[in-house]
Amino acid sequence: MAGRLATFILAAFAAAIAGISMPTLAHKPSDSYLTIKVDRDNVSGQWDIALRDLDLAVGLDIDGDGTITWGEVKSQRDTISRYALSHLTLQRSTPCTLNVADVLIDEHTDGAYAVLRVAGTCTDAAAPLTVDYRLLFDLDAQHRGLLKLESAGQTTTAIFATTSRSQQFAVAPSVSATATASVATATGAGVIAPATSPIATLVTFVKDGVKHIASGFDHILFLIALLLPAVMIREGGRWRPATALRPTLMNVAGIVTAFTIAHSITLSLAVLGIVDVPSRLVESLIAASVVATALDNLIPFLPRRRWQVAFIFGLLHGLGFASVLLDLGLPTTSLAISLFGFNLGVEIGQLLLVLAVVPLAYVARSTRAYRPLAIGLGSFAIAFVASGWLIERAFKFEFMPF
Amino acid sequence: MLSCRVIAFTTIFVIAPLMVIGLATPVIAAPRVPANDSDVLERLPTRAGDSTARTARALREALARDSKNINVAVEAAQLHIANARRDSDPRQLGQAEAVLSPWWGEASPPIPVLVLRATIRQSVHEFASARRDLEQAVKRDPKNGQAWLTLSTVQQVTGDLAGAAQSCERLSANSILFIAITCRSTVDAANGRAAFAYQQLDILLEQSAGIPSSLRSWAITLQAEIAQRLGKNRDAERLFRASLAIDRDDAYTIAAYADFLLDEKRAGAVLKLIPADTRADNLLLRRAIAAKQANVPEASTLIDLLQARFDAALARGSRVHLREEARFEVQLRNRPAVAQKLAQENWQVQKEPADVRILIESAAANSDPAAAMEAVRWVRTSRLEDVTLRKMIAALGKDVGRTKKSGAA
Repeated sequence: MAGRLATFILAAFAAAIAGISMPTLAHKPSDSYLTIKVDRDNVSGQWDIALRDLDLAVGLDIDGDGTITWGEVKSQRDTISRYALSHLTLQRSTPCTLNVADVLIDEHTDGAYAVLRVAGTCTDAAAPLTVDYRLLFDLDAQHRGLLKLESAGQTTTAIFATTSRSQQFAVAPSVSATATASVATATGAGVIAPATSPIATLVTFVKDGVKHIASGFDHILFLIALLLPAVMIREGGRWRPATALRPTLMNVAGIVTAFTIAHSITLSLAVLGIVDVPSRLVESLIAASVVATALDNLIPFLPRRRWQVAFIFGLLHGLGFASVLLDLGLPTTSLAISLFGFNLGVEIGQLLLVLAVVPLAYVARSTRAYRPLAIGLGSFAIAFVASGWLIERAFKFEFMPF
Repeated sequence: MLSCRVIAFTTIFVIAPLMVIGLATPVIAAPRVPANDSDVLERLPTRAGDSTARTARALREALARDSKNINVAVEAAQLHIANARRDSDPRQLGQAEAVLSPWWGEASPPIPVLVLRATIRQSVHEFASARRDLEQAVKRDPKNGQAWLTLSTVQQVTGDLAGAAQSCERLSANSILFIAITCRSTVDAANGRAAFAYQQLDILLEQSAGIPSSLRSWAITLQAEIAQRLGKNRDAERLFRASLAIDRDDAYTIAAYADFLLDEKRAGAVLKLIPADTRADNLLLRRAIAAKQANVPEASTLIDLLQARFDAALARGSRVHLREEARFEVQLRNRPAVAQKLAQENWQVQKEPADVRILIESAAANSDPAAAMEAVRWVRTSRLEDVTLRKMIAALGKDVGRTKKSGAA
């Protein structure tokens, strides 16, 4: 089984490495992607504009070598922001004020885009929103602006073209207090309020961390698979209940600490952009790690010391956390705070899980049913479910010959 | 102390991922701040020692001073259209349209604008309006060779072969003979006189040593395509290579040669012909098909990328590449029903040999021979000669027979 699993995973690596020569540059007509979120008097959003188009409009290639570097974009951040904002008007009863909070970079199917994080305010939340879009039409008549407008949990889409530059949208007049609270904490991509205090950012990301553990069944099942036998002692491949509380607690603490240190390392490395692994590969490997840990409870084949397993697999899970954090959209100004907050949230979620599982397992450890039911059937069930994920994630990866 | 198990475990889960980490290109799916100022984010489609970018900028600056200067605007539009063809870059078409914007909405703009507007409209598959512009242009200026040639192209793409032949005739009275004969050969080859067209081109190419290389490669590529359809694979191979020897960057010829190679099951040659970093979608499609044919793992990456392109096109509301999308669905996605629908939709607009083929191919894959009947009838009435197509139609006929038999049983 382990051999087959290894072959399976190595095949995934082969596919990933072969995919490295992936052509990221391509040709398509010019589009910009504008996401606007309206929440009472506040508007925020994200505007992705192709670097090629910005080069045409304001000239990004300063040294004229035919390439656009991050240095060239950075030095013209203000020019880019001014150009973009002067070609977009949002209006309710009066025009909205708009500011660019940050300029980031992202890839679309046809190359690199500048990502403008915009925020502003509009008075009179009851009035409909008029969007007047004028970007690039004077330079490229086939340009399109693709708008996604979100308000009160509803999403509207629209396309702007030379012939349809101004469009009006009904916006939910008021949002209930609870909805407002959830919008404020959800921190979907692009919602970066300019005046967010560091503490508010911290709290937001702590909550995101907890939420991720709570909704990430793969992490939960991995921890359960590790913890179920933590109240037992393995002797010659057979489990027997631990006799004292102290060694059990030491065992659990070792596992949790090793997992925490490991995933903190890779989470930080990935968020800081030092390492970068395709997320589908990471997700497949995480599923594989759950399968392996659960199977190991039945037929031991991993290192005997459980903290080592927790550490090594923890490196993978950290990469998985990172992709979530990156998807949430990181403000560059408070990177350290959000990274710390998210990690703290993950730890809190993890501790809550330990507190829920370990005392129960400890109490139940000497019952006759614990070994066959919790460890046996439980591990089997976890391995079964995780195998499903593995197949699903790996198939999406399409490395299988059929 | 270290058991084999620990070593194996560490290799699989730590060393191998680190190898990938070290090698993987940035494929982050989230906005990021690049690490270094020197990080190259984008390469502009300018070539080393290329003067067109400078010329384009100079023209843009001249237009910024006087946007209504028709001579400058026409020159700029011609440059953008040439670039769009050279690089198969649709952005350049939008830029061409933008410099013509002072006249774009007029019913009867000056003739040069009219012809350029038609060229742009034809490029984005607005054939009906392109044709109206061209008919107006040749009415106002019957000696406009460019207008007759473009009109002939539009007529041919949309299946009006008789009209296309007439436009070529009008062209011959008003343009250099070489263009007129190549124009006529294109129509002849699709109209039951392929062998004659092939011969004509032979004589033409032999006798015109001094003509510009771009015209020469155009005629040679056409001759190669005719050879392929006649089943003269050796000649086709030689001619495609000869055309690429003149202009090895011509996207049209590369695509046609790649299709020829794919029919010959020479996927390796296609992978060599089309680089992995090609910017042109239609070339990327051929490379993906070759990668699948050769069973190279790169195929899945390319398929994902193409899917993303088609999704992006759909998001902006454009359905320009129905033929390519149908081919993508039937050959790479194994969704013949979707492919057939796209091919049928495409058939309403375009009737070139490639359009015939994709309709028959997807109908066959979808086991719905009736859907291909219109295309089969078209092949008969237009007398289109194509050995591969003949075989496909014959197989389709057998399928019909088999379906009938199994239906009776």
